[in-house]
Amino acid sequence: MNCRSEVLEVTVEARQVEEAMLALLHTILLHRSSGKFHYKKEGTYSIGTVGTLDIDCDFIDFTFVRVSSEELDRVIRKAVSEFKDALSNSGSDGMGQISLEFYQKKKSRWPFSDECIPWEVWSIKVNVVNLANEQERQICREKVGEKLGEKVINVVEVINRHEYLPKMPTQSEVDNVFDTSLKDVQPYLYKITYQITDSLGTSVSTTMRRLIKDTLAL
Amino acid sequence: MAHFDTEYQRLEASYSDSPPGEENPLMHVPEGAKSQWHHIENLDLFFQRVYNLHQKNGFTCMLLGEIFELVQLLFVVGFTVFLANCVDYDILFANKFVNHTDSSKVTLPDAFLPVDVCSARIRDNAFVIFVLIISGVFWLHRLVKFIYNVCCYWEIRAFYINALKMTMSELPYATWQEVQARIVEIQKEHQICIHKKELTELDIYHRILRFKNYMVAMVNKSLLPVRFRLPGLEESVFYTRGLKYNFELIFFWGPGSLFENEWSLKPEYKRGGNRLELADRLASRILWIGIANLLLCPVILVWQILYAFFSYTEVIKREPGSLGARCWSLYGRCYLRHFNELDHELMSRLSKGYKPASKYMNCFLSPLLTVVAKNVAFFAGSLLAVLIALTIYDEDVLSVEHVLSSITLLGVCITVCRSFIPDKHMVFCPEQLLRVILAHIHYMPDHWQGNAHKYETRDQFSQLFQYKAVFILEELISPVVTPIILIFCLRRKSLEIIDFFRNFTVEVVGVGDTCSFAQMDIRQHGHPAWMSAGKTEASIYQQAEDGKTELSLMHFAITNPQWQPPQETTHFISQLKERVHREAAGASSDTHPLSLSESEPRSLVANLLAGPSTLTSIHFGHDSSLTNQAGLSDGASALRSLSPNSGSLHLRGSLNAAHTSTMSKAMAGSGTDARTVSSGSSAWEGQLTSLVLSEYASTEMSIHALYMHELHKQQSHGELSRHTWHRQDSDESSDSIPDEVRSEPNPRHFPRSHTFPTTVPSPSAIPTSASCMSSTTLGQEGAASNRIGQQGFTNSSSDSFGARGRVVKSARGVPMGGWAEEGQAARRHHETLPEESSEDDMPPHIHKVNAVCV
Repeated sequence: MNCRSEVLEVTVEARQVEEAMLALLHTILLHRSSGKFHYKKEGTYSIGTVGTLDIDCDFIDFTFVRVSSEELDRVIRKAVSEFKDALSNSGSDGMGQISLEFYQKKKSRWPFSDECIPWEVWSIKVNVVNLANEQERQICREKVGEKLGEKVINVVEVINRHEYLPKMPTQSEVDNVFDTSLKDVQPYLYKITYQITDSLGTSVSTTMRRLIKDTLAL
Repeated sequence: MAHFDTEYQRLEASYSDSPPGEENPLMHVPEGAKSQWHHIENLDLFFQRVYNLHQKNGFTCMLLGEIFELVQLLFVVGFTVFLANCVDYDILFANKFVNHTDSSKVTLPDAFLPVDVCSARIRDNAFVIFVLIISGVFWLHRLVKFIYNVCCYWEIRAFYINALKMTMSELPYATWQEVQARIVEIQKEHQICIHKKELTELDIYHRILRFKNYMVAMVNKSLLPVRFRLPGLEESVFYTRGLKYNFELIFFWGPGSLFENEWSLKPEYKRGGNRLELADRLASRILWIGIANLLLCPVILVWQILYAFFSYTEVIKREPGSLGARCWSLYGRCYLRHFNELDHELMSRLSKGYKPASKYMNCFLSPLLTVVAKNVAFFAGSLLAVLIALTIYDEDVLSVEHVLSSITLLGVCITVCRSFIPDKHMVFCPEQLLRVILAHIHYMPDHWQGNAHKYETRDQFSQLFQYKAVFILEELISPVVTPIILIFCLRRKSLEIIDFFRNFTVEVVGVGDTCSFAQMDIRQHGHPAWMSAGKTEASIYQQAEDGKTELSLMHFAITNPQWQPPQETTHFISQLKERVHREAAGASSDTHPLSLSESEPRSLVANLLAGPSTLTSIHFGHDSSLTNQAGLSDGASALRSLSPNSGSLHLRGSLNAAHTSTMSKAMAGSGTDARTVSSGSSAWEGQLTSLVLSEYASTEMSIHALYMHELHKQQSHGELSRHTWHRQDSDESSDSIPDEVRSEPNPRHFPRSHTFPTTVPSPSAIPTSASCMSSTTLGQEGAASNRIGQQGFTNSSSDSFGARGRVVKSARGVPMGGWAEEGQAARRHHETLPEESSEDDMPPHIHKVNAVCV
């Protein structure tokens, strides 16, 4: 619970799903990434530069800015295309939710594994619509572009608030806060998960885990 | 070309485009995660553990206690089995002789059976093996839990030491308020909770008591099936630990429960759309859990018997009177608990009420039984005396068969008889006693007042305050009864439960989903008959019964003086305090405020209430209850009867004043926050003050509770009399005494507190609206009469009480706990009573969504 959660909702056409998701995820990640840290001596570090890149969408009248890191892009693209496939395969009314969760690792003592504690979760709810003709598509193309623009401003507003962010780590702890696996950029540790329609209830494993935990805690 | 002299010049500084990371770019110093306490994942659990560790007096005490418990369990089981199977009782009873070669004395080891015989006997006995297996499983469970707890609490210990800067040795002597103040303090530094910069006391309470608040609210709204009317018997209450466990399992944490995790209700339960379907689902879950209970019944039964045997036999042996002793029943604890009241607060309150409560119950000893008991005791006593005298003369008497056992039996008989003989010096004054009890327990149904001498009142009180023996008995039959209640009673209520959770859950930023009653918002849940007339906008369904919202609010404000409630609430509190204070002050102007400082406040209340002035006030009350105007003087006199007691109020006031002055000095001087000073982190005197304050807080609360009850009584009396004047014929429908229901099976009275739960099983709005009408008119009248009463006080400014140190800080603009915005949204939603289906698709009032839909 101890984490902020923001919800964004978009309604798009099936072919726009990928681009819309990429646009939003990249926008968030742009603000949640920093340059690589170079630790100098004990106690200080300098931050590398981060390039940005304008990306034009094919199916939406929209251009967004992303971090110019191919690696990051590849990871995001992979997650999004998985989501898109799952969405199209689901065959249901095309509701889905992709969430980007920023977390922090906390080392625990031996019997327990490391805890991943989220501090911010962005949930993007997607509603896929089917359009009848080309004219509607054209309108949709513009409208989705506008709405995405609003969302981006929305995201920036949220990010501009002075709210909790993990403290800048020392060298030994940098892996607990930042994802240092990428060469050219260093986003906060994040996780992308998706969910098709509202699959009811929590999974069995989490219920079991809670049950055990609760009986222990009694 | 002319030379223009402009201000523009070439920059002298040489800037070279050095590639980043090479020369000396910006250097940063990492803050590092110095503390591991920032951003704790599960704050609910965390605060609960912090509280538990405080209640268990520190880590070592807890550890030792748990280890001993484990050992004790092992010992008791082992010893019982040993006694049952491995002892040759014939040798002990000397029915069989052992032939020793060296000596004729029988030693204890002689009576033990050899190991192989013993183990064979155990192996043959299926029941013993069954018991052993159950205890073994239980013990292992306890062991695992113990190990898990040690790991968790070790961390909490570190939190106390490193973050709160409290050593384990000083923990037992620190009040919870102090610990809490420190937690609030360190939130600024560590950001335990990431949602807000500052944590309030209420946030912490909400997290610790999230589910308990729900339970209290459900009992308050009579939603839980704990009262039963068996044919041929009067209404009884059945609420055991097993039942409670099952309720919690169903609602809060079991598989498929309403809650997703500790802090949030599942989203589908927040929407009204498919409430019928959800109710069906809940009903079937209850059915399955009931069936599971039924199947596990034998195991649980055996376990309960074992548990009772292990935990009570020793006590009973030690003091046989303990079975005759009483204890606050589980239902009583739920009924009497305020919203946001921690365990230790409740327990101390109830413990203070224990003595008067048992005195009250003893008033009602049956005279017939007393006569019989006296005579039986006389005969048994004379027999015993003779036997003892003979034994003293020659102890060989003891070796005569059965003499020792008859001495023991006679002793027990006398003890039992004595419990039926009332204290010779006791006076029958139930009304006063009940008043003293009320001062501590803070809640009671309206119709008890003035009826304290009646047997029905006693019976109802015994639902809250039952015999320990009854308690144990109920626990024993609980495994059998629980599934029946679940399957036949709770299942029928599933729709109401779903509605309850939907209507009374609000999401508070930084806390999660909590019971909206626990917000203690007068406007939303106040009851017009309890001083919040005119302020409350709650419908009948939303009003908390018995003035729970108002009393809880007062209680919380008094126990947490640092808490800054939202504006209207502050207004309510200060107004009420002012009135109470004024009434008290008016009466005790002649007594010096500090003259009573040495005496204990509790006994003061007791003395006082037993004093003659109360009598006159009661007398007064009787006479004047019919006339409307005399109501207030009645209240005043009742308070005057408390007058010396209000010395403690003064004391608290003056202490508070001193306290504030130090606070303000500190604030002016070093700029430290007021909280540091009040938490007593700097000096011991701070600690002392907070301790003293918390002790007097209970007295202050008692006075407030009495005052509120008194006012409530007048108000309802006033209404009653008005009604008899205005419309004598149709008086039945408007039941001005909300809780008449609890006792009176009179069908004419429309049961107020049962309005929603019982009378509307199917969606139909007819009865509710009818009673709603009548009560709103009532409420307005109440408000009117109330206003008359208030006139004298409204314009008195708070400066005369400013010294009392409540420091009515001008409520900040920041709404705490999301009162303002959530409150409004919630109110809007509350209007969707379950009867309506048109607004089914209304979004839940608990959406904290920053989204705009495309």
